[in-house]
Amino acid sequence: MSNAFIYDAVRTPRGRGKSSGSLYTTRPVDLVVTALQAIRDRNQLDTSKVDDVVMGCVTQSGDQGQCIARTASLLAGYDFDAPGVTLNRFCGSGLEAVNHAAAMVGSGYFDLVVAGGVESMSRVEMGSDGGAMMDAATEVKLNTVPQGISADLIATLRGFSRADVDQFAVQSQQYAGKAQAAGHFDKSIVPVLDMNGLTLLAKDEHLRPDTTVEGLHKLKASFEMLGKMFALDELTKSTYPEVESINHVHHAGNSSGIVDGAAAVLVGSAAAGERHGLRPRARIRAVALAGAEPIIMLTGPLPATRKVLAKAGMTIGDIDHFEVNEAFAAVPLMFMQEFGVARELVNPDGGAIALGHPLGATGAMLLGTALDALERTGKGTALITLCIGGGMGIATIIERV
Amino acid sequence: MTTTTAEHHNAAFQSSFDATTGVATLLFAMAGGTNKVDRTMAEGLHDALTWAKAQAGLKGIIIGTAHKNFCVGADIDSLVPLVDAQATYDYVRQLSLLFRSIETAGVPVVAALTGSALGGGYELALSCHRRFAIDDPGVQIGLPEVSLGVIPGAGGTQRLPRIIGIQKALEHIMQGQPVRAPKAASSGMVDGLFATKDALLEAAHAWIAANPKAKQPWDHKGFQFPGPQPTSGDARNIYIGALAMLYKKVGHHMPQVEAVVCSVQEGCIIDFDRALEVEARYFVRCAISPTSKDMIRTFWYHRNAALKGEGLPGLPPEARQGADAGGAPEARGDHKVGWLPKKVTILGAGMMGAGLAFIAAEKGLTVVLKDIAEAALDGAKKHCEDELKKKKHLSPDKAQALLARITFTTENEPIRGSDLIIEAVIEKDDVKHAVTRELEPLLAEGGVWASNTSAIPITHLATASAHPDRFVGLHFFSPVEQMPLLEIIKGEQTSDVTLGRSVAFAKLLGKLPILVNDGYGFFTSRVFATYLMEAAQLVAEGHDPVLVEAAGKHAGMVVSPLKVFDEVTLRLGLHGVEQRERYLGEKLGDVPGITLLKQLVAEGRIGKVAGKGFYDYGDGKGDRKIWPGLRALAIGTPAKTGIDYLAERLMLVQVAEVVKCLEEGILREKRDAEVGAIFGIGFAPSSGGPLAWIDRRGARAVVASMRTLAAEAGPRYAPPKLLESMAEKNERFWS
Repeated sequence: MSNAFIYDAVRTPRGRGKSSGSLYTTRPVDLVVTALQAIRDRNQLDTSKVDDVVMGCVTQSGDQGQCIARTASLLAGYDFDAPGVTLNRFCGSGLEAVNHAAAMVGSGYFDLVVAGGVESMSRVEMGSDGGAMMDAATEVKLNTVPQGISADLIATLRGFSRADVDQFAVQSQQYAGKAQAAGHFDKSIVPVLDMNGLTLLAKDEHLRPDTTVEGLHKLKASFEMLGKMFALDELTKSTYPEVESINHVHHAGNSSGIVDGAAAVLVGSAAAGERHGLRPRARIRAVALAGAEPIIMLTGPLPATRKVLAKAGMTIGDIDHFEVNEAFAAVPLMFMQEFGVARELVNPDGGAIALGHPLGATGAMLLGTALDALERTGKGTALITLCIGGGMGIATIIERV
Repeated sequence: MTTTTAEHHNAAFQSSFDATTGVATLLFAMAGGTNKVDRTMAEGLHDALTWAKAQAGLKGIIIGTAHKNFCVGADIDSLVPLVDAQATYDYVRQLSLLFRSIETAGVPVVAALTGSALGGGYELALSCHRRFAIDDPGVQIGLPEVSLGVIPGAGGTQRLPRIIGIQKALEHIMQGQPVRAPKAASSGMVDGLFATKDALLEAAHAWIAANPKAKQPWDHKGFQFPGPQPTSGDARNIYIGALAMLYKKVGHHMPQVEAVVCSVQEGCIIDFDRALEVEARYFVRCAISPTSKDMIRTFWYHRNAALKGEGLPGLPPEARQGADAGGAPEARGDHKVGWLPKKVTILGAGMMGAGLAFIAAEKGLTVVLKDIAEAALDGAKKHCEDELKKKKHLSPDKAQALLARITFTTENEPIRGSDLIIEAVIEKDDVKHAVTRELEPLLAEGGVWASNTSAIPITHLATASAHPDRFVGLHFFSPVEQMPLLEIIKGEQTSDVTLGRSVAFAKLLGKLPILVNDGYGFFTSRVFATYLMEAAQLVAEGHDPVLVEAAGKHAGMVVSPLKVFDEVTLRLGLHGVEQRERYLGEKLGDVPGITLLKQLVAEGRIGKVAGKGFYDYGDGKGDRKIWPGLRALAIGTPAKTGIDYLAERLMLVQVAEVVKCLEEGILREKRDAEVGAIFGIGFAPSSGGPLAWIDRRGARAVVASMRTLAAEAGPRYAPPKLLESMAEKNERFWS
C-alpha cells in the first residue's frame, strides 16, 4: 500500500438551491465541468493520464441521471481516455469519491484520479428519485423516520436544547461570514461563468452572517408536526422506547442549507505527481466507513471516526482540525460531546448550516476547506466526517505535507 | 317491464337474459339465504358469466341479488383451513382472476347493490364497471377483512385506490369498518344511490345502453389515479403517515393492516394484472399466519357464538314475551329474542346510566332514568343529546322520538311497573342494598333487578332482594355506546329464566354477552386489575415508568397500563385491595405497588380527573408526561429490566389470572375468556385472547416462565394447576 496524495482541491461557490438561486439556470453537468476544467487548468494536467473521474451525486435522475461524471468528463474537454463513474453514498458521496480514489491510487491500480461530487438541489429535488427506503414494506421492517426526526432524537437523548442548537447555528454563520470576508475560501473557489464568460456566481451565497439567536428562536421546529400530529415520532419507540417524547429543536436555520454546487479533488500517487510536475499538498492518512442504527441514522460519524483514528494509529488529540458536516446542529454538537473536542477546532470557517450542503459534493468540499485551513494555519492533520442517510458514517484523515 | 327470453340457474346464481334490452341479469341466490364467497359461488359465477356471454346480442350484465344481502364476503369456514402457501395462493388467485374476467368481459357490467356488499362481495362489486346502491341505511358496504387478520385478496386493495384515490382507500381498508350506503355514495365507493329497486335497475339499464364499450378506468391508456399519483412525494407521505399512525395505535401487532399499505403501495406502481398477484401474495402471508387464525377464531367464531348466546340459558315458552308486549316499532321487530321489557329503569344518571338509557332508547325501549340529583339528570340529558347528534342517519322525527322514550326523573313513581331495573349507583354495597330494598318493590310482576356493579359479589348484593332468583349482575363497560361487552353474572340463586332474559336483553341492545359465575371482581374486573396493579408494582420496583408503558403496547395491549390507571383513578386500585380483603380474605401485606399507590393518593395524585396521577396532565391539550417524582418513590433498582421483561410481567400476570378464573369456575365457557378479555378490557386483540395467547407460546413455555417469575417476583405468577397439567400433557386450549 503506497501513499495517495492530494494535489489540488477546487469547488464552485454554493448557489441557493431554489429557482431564485444563482446556479439554478446552470445544468449540474456544467457545474462539474467547471470544477474539472479548474483542476486541469490550475495544474496543467494532461487529462489523458487521468485514470478516472469519480463524482458523487445523490439524486441521479433527470438532469443528474445516467453517469454525470462521464458526460462531464467529455464536455470538460478531458481526453476520451479519462472515463467517469458516478457514485451514491448519500450525503457522504463527495468524500466517498475521494476515499475511493485514494484506495485505487494507494493500491497501485490507478495513478491519477479526479474525485469530487455535484448536486443541483434547485433543479433536481432531493428524494425525487424515489427509492426502496421509502417503500411501505421497508418502513414496516425498519421503522425509519425522516432525518430531521432522527436529528431531534439525538438532541433529546444528548440533552441539546433549542438554545444550544440555535447558538451553534449562529456561530456557523458568523465563522463563515468572517472566513469569506477574510478570503479563506479564495484559494479553492472557482467562479461559475455563463456560456459567454460572464459570472453567474463567484462566492457562496447561502450564508447569513447577521443571523441572531433571537431571530432563530422565532422559527417553528420543522419536524414537530410531522413527529407529533402525523405520529412519526412513535416509530422511534420501536428502538428507543425509553424516550417518552422527542424534543423537536431543528428548523431550516439550524440545519444544512439546500444549495447547488460541485467540487473536484486531484488525487494521485507520488510517482504520478513527479511525472506531472505536481506538488503534493496533503497525504491521505486513513479512510473509514461505519454503519449506525438506521432510525437514529445520523450517529455514523462516531464509529467512523473511531475506526479511522484506529486505522491511522492516532488519537482524537492528534487531530488539529475537524470538519464535521452540519447536516443538523445536533450532529457536530454530538461529535464534540462524544469526543470532548473544543468548539474552535470544529468547522472554524463555518459549515453547511451557513454555507449549504450540496449532497453529492459536500464531502469533497469539506476536504478542500480543511486543506486550505491547514495550509493557512500551518497545522498538520485534519479529520473530515459526514453523517449519512440510512445510518452510515464516513471519515478521512489528511496530513499536510 | 322486461321480457325474458332465456333463463339459466345454478347453485349460486339465477340468471336471465332479455333479448330486447340485450341485458343479462345475474341474481346471487345461494341456498340458505346468505350469499357468500366460496367454491360454490365461484363456480356459479363463472358458469353464469359464461352463459351470459354466450347469449346472442348481449349488450350488458347486471349482477344483483335475490336475497336481502348482496354478498357478505368470504365463507369463513373455507378460510380457516388455509395453512399451505401454495394452496392458499391458488385459491385466492382463482377468485381474483374470476373477478378480473368480469371487468374485461367486453360488455358493461353493473352491480345492483340492493343489499349489503362486504369483503369479497364488495370486491365483486368493484370488478363491475358501475356500482349502484339502494338508499337504505341498513345496506352496508365495504372491506372489513383486517378484522379477521387478512386483507382483501380479490382486487380490493388495487381497485379501490384507483377509484377513490390512495388516501381514502387506505383509510377505509385499514380501518375495516363498512359504511352505510349513503356514506358509500358520498365517498365514491358506489356510483349512485337510488330510492327504489326499480329506479336502480332503470338507471342500470340506462347506463349500460349509454356505455356499450365500458372498460375500467385502469384499463384505459394514460390512466391517472385520482389524487396524488402513486410515485409522488405526496403519496409517499400518505404511506408513511398511515404506517406511523398505525404503529402509534398498535405497534407491529396488526401485520395485516401493514400488509394493506404494502399491497397498495407496491401494486399501484405496476401493471394492474400483475398488481393483483402482489395483492394475492400479501393475502397469503396474512391468511396462513397465526394472527389471522387466532383473530378469526375469536372475532368470528367466538364472537358469533356469544352473539347467539350459544350454550347460554334460553327462555322456555312461558317466559317469553311476544311482539305485542309494547315498546316502539323498532323493538317489536326483535320479538325473536324472546323478551321485550315494556319499561326499563336505570338508576343513577352518571356516564354509565346516561349511556345505558340512550342505547336502550335507541333500540326502541321505553326508559326511565332516575337519579336523586337534578344536576346529574341534566348532565345525562345533555349526554343523550350529544349522542343523538352523532346519529346522522336518523331523521329529525326519529331522533325526537328516541329522546321522548326516556323519562328523566328524580321521582320513584315513574319506575313502577318496570320489567327491568338496572342500578348503576355508587359502588358501595350498603348504598346498593338500600336502593334495592327501596325500589325493588316497584318492579312489574316477574320483573328483573340487575346491578351494574363491576366487582361486588352479586350474591351478597342479592341479600337485600326479596326475590334473589330475579336478581342478576349486568356489568356493562364504559363508554357503553361503544364497548360491546356485557358481563352477565349469576348470583347463587339467580334463576335460568332470569339469565335467559339477561341474554335476551343483551341481544336487544346488540351487546356481546358472556355469562360468568359469582366472585369478587367476576372475570373482567379481576383480570383488568392485575394489569394495572402489576404496572404500579413495576414502577415501585424501580423500573422506568416510560418503559412500563411502552411494554404494555409492545405486548399488544390496546392501552398502556399507567395511562388507563390514571383514567380509572388510583383510588379504584386501592379500593379493589380493600374489597379483595373483605370478600376474599386476601391479606397482601407490604406490597411495594400498593404502598406506591397509597403514597400517590395521599399526595392528591389520584389520576386524570385531578390533573395528576402517574402522569402530569398539561392544560387543555391533553399532553401528558410521566411524573418525574415516581423514581424517587421506587424501592430500588431492579436487577432485570427492559421492555421484553416488562411485557412478560404484564402479560403473564393477566393470563395466570384468566386461567384461575377458568379453574375456579368463574368462567363457564372457554370462549368467554377470549371474548371477555378482548371486548371488555382491551387484552391484546391480535392474540385472539388470553387462552390463544398461551396456546401460541405453548403451555410448557408459559408454565416455565411463570415458575421463573414466581420465584423472582412473587406467588401471583405461580402457574395454576390447570395450566401445569396442560403443560405436562402438551395440551392446547384451542385445537
